[in-house]
This record gives sequence, C-alpha cells and structure tokens, in this order.
Amino acid sequence: MEFLSLIGRLFQSGVGNLASYLAAHVLLCLLPAFYIAGAMTALIPKETVTRFLGRSTPKFISYPASAAAGFLLAVCSCTVIPLFAGIYKKGAGLGPAITFLFIAPAINILALVYTGGVIGMDLAIARLLLSLTFGIGIGIIMALIFRREDKEHDKATDALFAGQAAMRRAAVIFLLVLVALLVAGTFQFDFLKQAYAQIELPLSGAQPFQDFLYRLVPFDPARGEEGVTAQGALLIGMLVLIGLTSWKGVEKIHEGFNAWTWISTALVGLTLLVASLGVMPHTGGLTIAFTGKFFGVLLSVIFLGWMIKAVLTEDETRDFLWESWKFVKQIFPLLIVGVFAVGIIRMLIRPEWIEAVAGQNSVVGNVVGVIFGVFMYFPTLVEVPIAQMFLSLGMHRGPLLAYLISDPELSLQSILITAAIIGKLKAWVYVGWVALFSTLAGLIYGAWVDGTSIGVVFLYLVSFLAVLAGILWFVNNRQGRVVEHGASVH
Amino acid sequence: MLTVKILGSGCPNCKKVESIAKLAAQTMGMEAEFVKVTDYSEIMKYPILSTPGLVINEKVVCAGRIPNQAEVTTWLANAEMEAA
Repeated sequence: MEFLSLIGRLFQSGVGNLASYLAAHVLLCLLPAFYIAGAMTALIPKETVTRFLGRSTPKFISYPASAAAGFLLAVCSCTVIPLFAGIYKKGAGLGPAITFLFIAPAINILALVYTGGVIGMDLAIARLLLSLTFGIGIGIIMALIFRREDKEHDKATDALFAGQAAMRRAAVIFLLVLVALLVAGTFQFDFLKQAYAQIELPLSGAQPFQDFLYRLVPFDPARGEEGVTAQGALLIGMLVLIGLTSWKGVEKIHEGFNAWTWISTALVGLTLLVASLGVMPHTGGLTIAFTGKFFGVLLSVIFLGWMIKAVLTEDETRDFLWESWKFVKQIFPLLIVGVFAVGIIRMLIRPEWIEAVAGQNSVVGNVVGVIFGVFMYFPTLVEVPIAQMFLSLGMHRGPLLAYLISDPELSLQSILITAAIIGKLKAWVYVGWVALFSTLAGLIYGAWVDGTSIGVVFLYLVSFLAVLAGILWFVNNRQGRVVEHGASVH
Repeated sequence: MLTVKILGSGCPNCKKVESIAKLAAQTMGMEAEFVKVTDYSEIMKYPILSTPGLVINEKVVCAGRIPNQAEVTTWLANAEMEAA
C-alpha cells in the first residue's frame, strides 16, 4: 500500500510540475522564442555571415564572425555540423571552427531565453558573456596548439564562402519586433508590471475553480513548486488548440496556405494576449488587470500580424511558419517528457545531498557540476528545468552555471561526431578545455553572486586570460625558434 | 536517367525536400533514381554548409533550405538537357 501511495505521489508531482511549467513559463517566453528561432532560420541568409569565414579573412574578423554564426545561424543541428566541417576544412580553419562549435549550443537563442525566463536574467546574461569570451578563447588556443597541421590543411578555394547576400530590411524589422514581443512579455520592468486599467467580471465560479485547481495540483512554495492558476488552466487549453490547428495548417504548408494556417497563427496571438493579462480571482468574481505588459504584447502582435499579411513575401511567411513549427515539433514533446520526469525526480532527491556537494561556490562543487553535465545528456532545453530543480534544492548559482554551460556543450554523441571530423586527439583536447573553462565560468560567476565586485571578477578573468596568452605565446615563440633554427642548419 | 541525391541526417526538412523532388519528377513524368545520403562523411564531400542538400547528377543545386516544386522542376529539366 505504501509503495502504491508513493507511486501516486510521484505521478502527482510530475503532473504538477508539467502543468505549472506550461502555464507559468512556457507562454510568454518560449512561444516568442520558438518564433524568433524560426525567423532566424528562415529569414537570415547564411551568406551574410559565412562570407566572413573564408580562409582569406583576417583572424580578428573571422573569430567574432564565427561567434556570430554560432548565435545567428546554428539554431538547428542541420547547420552546426556541416558549417563546422566547412569552416574547418575549407574556410577559416580550426580556431574559428572550434569557436563556432562552442558557441552554437552554448548561446542558442531558445536555451538562452528559456534560462532567462525560468532561472533568471542574471544567469542567462552570464551564460551569454562567458560563453562568448571562452568560445573565442578556446578557438584561439586550439588553433595555436595544432597550428602546424592547420597550416598544412588544404589550400583549397574560398568558393564556398564567397557567396554574398543581404538581409531584407523588412526581415530585420520583423525579427526586431519579435524580440520586442519577447521583452515586453518576460522582462520585469516596473512600467510593464504596472496595471493601467482593470475591469471586474462578476464570475462567481472563478474562486471555487481556482481552489479546485490548487487542490488538484497541490504545491509547496518552500520547495520551489508553483501551483496552477485559473488563467494557467485556460492557457494550457489554448496551447493544445494551437498544437492541433498547427498540425492541420502548418504541417503541409509547402502545399499552400489553408484556413487552418491562419486560425493557428491568430490563436498564437490571442494566447499571448491572454497570458499577458493580470487575472486575480476573488470571492466576488474575477479582476482582470491590463498591465503595461499587455499593451506591449498587443502592439507587437498587431504589428507582426500586419507584417505577415502585407510586407513579408509568401515564401518568407511560409518558411518562417514552417521553421518555427519544426522547432516546436522537434523540441516540445521531449521538453514535456523532461519536465514531467524532473517533477518525479525532485521528490526523490534530498536537498541535503545537493547542499553538501554543490551548496557552496567551491572548486569541487563546480567540477561536480561540469562532470554531471558531461555524463548526462538531456535533449535541447531540458537542461533548464533540471537546473531549476537543482537550484530549488539548494545548489549554488556558480556550479549551476558550470553545469548549464557544459551540459549542452559536451555529450558523447557530439564528441564522436566532432572526432570524426577533426580527429580523436583534437576532439579530446577540445573536451578538456571545455571542461576547464566551464568550471572556471562557474567559479567566476559564483564569486560574483557571493558579492565579489564586478571589477575584481573582471580582473580575475583578464589575468587568467593574460596568463594563458603568455604561456601560449612562450610556447609558440620557442617552437618558432626551433623551426627557424632547424631551417638555418639546412 | 538522372540521379537525385538528398543530403541530410534525416531531419524534417530533408524529408520535405525529398517529397518535393519526387513530386516534381513525377509531375514531369521523368524517371530518376533517388538516393538518400545520411552519413556525414559522405555529405561532407559535397560543398555545402548546411543540410538539407539537393544534388542532381553530382551537382549541388540547393542547400540549407527547402526549394519549391517549380525550382526543382527547372533544375531537373536543366540537368536532363545537359545530360542529353
């Protein structure tokens, strides 16, 4: 009997976690994020960035360009591996290729937005900045370590990188408005949170319905759990409808638009609007507050709708809707399973364990975070709810960042593919550097969280990079002299 | 007969390209052999920077996006003229 009740409790915890995630976090951050990812894939021509990745481009341009490519072009794995191999074999060489490989999963737009929405903007920004710095750093280090082989690497033509294309101005504006939608919906600015108008609906059923939901999905705020609100329940229903209508309208979009395409797109806008309202049930009925958030979302949705109808070409709209839907279809089912599983696991882990291992910003804590990240492979985005679980169980934010950087970066599958392209030795050296830098990222960020001033943290970072550069310069110089010496003997 | 290769690891976009290419050939009443290339080391032999790639008679005609049926029809017709 006891066993059965445990199973029941676990199941309830899983469902509760899932429901509160769908209702609270998914909408205003993930829905726009999926659309941004779709727009980036569909509307940014790859040539705008790849033309800076050729062999003849100066290094100080090709490294930042690889970082930009990792961020802008590599939302989907369809691009990561071919582009990585292309840069390595026919383009700017090993260094920029490694930078690209590092950046692509680390600051993938979906993961970044989701981290910001679920865990906090500070962690998302730390993830962004440290990944950029270290991505370029690891690229330069790898290029120096293996520079001889890299020089021998084929002197093939730059033709692959010669293509030029510009992004249409309308597409740029479209992307920016999508970003504005995300900002309006998720950022916690005061003018967005403030209510400018409110109405009262005399719905006497609202409060009992809310109580019923809280009983159905019990939660304990002390453990970092959240309940499902009446608004949340409505939103989950709308999400299901979006899924169904998109299946009818977007799955076969290459055969032409149909009525379902527009119904599902309109439904997305409507759902975002409902999600941005402030809804407070009370005994007399329901108070609906129109916050700054609501007006921001309303403006963005209207503008986007107008652009889709009047400004984007049919091809652009089709590609945009298809790519966004493709991401949802690929990632969302796994995310749902992942969140459900996290809800169950949360019941089984004792906070004391986490507290003991990674409760402090220690070297051990950060190393454990990285090792866990390397050996556990979670599908895209699932690392975020897992990180949030650790956080609520008492993990320090430093080791948490170390885990968040290393997890999408290093998985057995990605190491094997990398090894197939650049060779085993290079691949494992790369893995070593990523592990080291992830640990370091955690330590630095953790020190900042613990109150070290930003100036001192910056000093740590700069002095570490300086030492590293010094060592590499020294090694480089000595080898250079040996080579020169050898040459003069002959 | 033309050889049409679809390069890609089996992502949704590759399947779309395959179905569009097959439809184009069918509509034209053209006979073609369709080959799916999923092995990355094979794919890397072609000069493409992102999948899906569409290759007609060993020539890359399109990569990194889903072409429409009219485009594929043109490429198939061109390839047949060259082959003849």
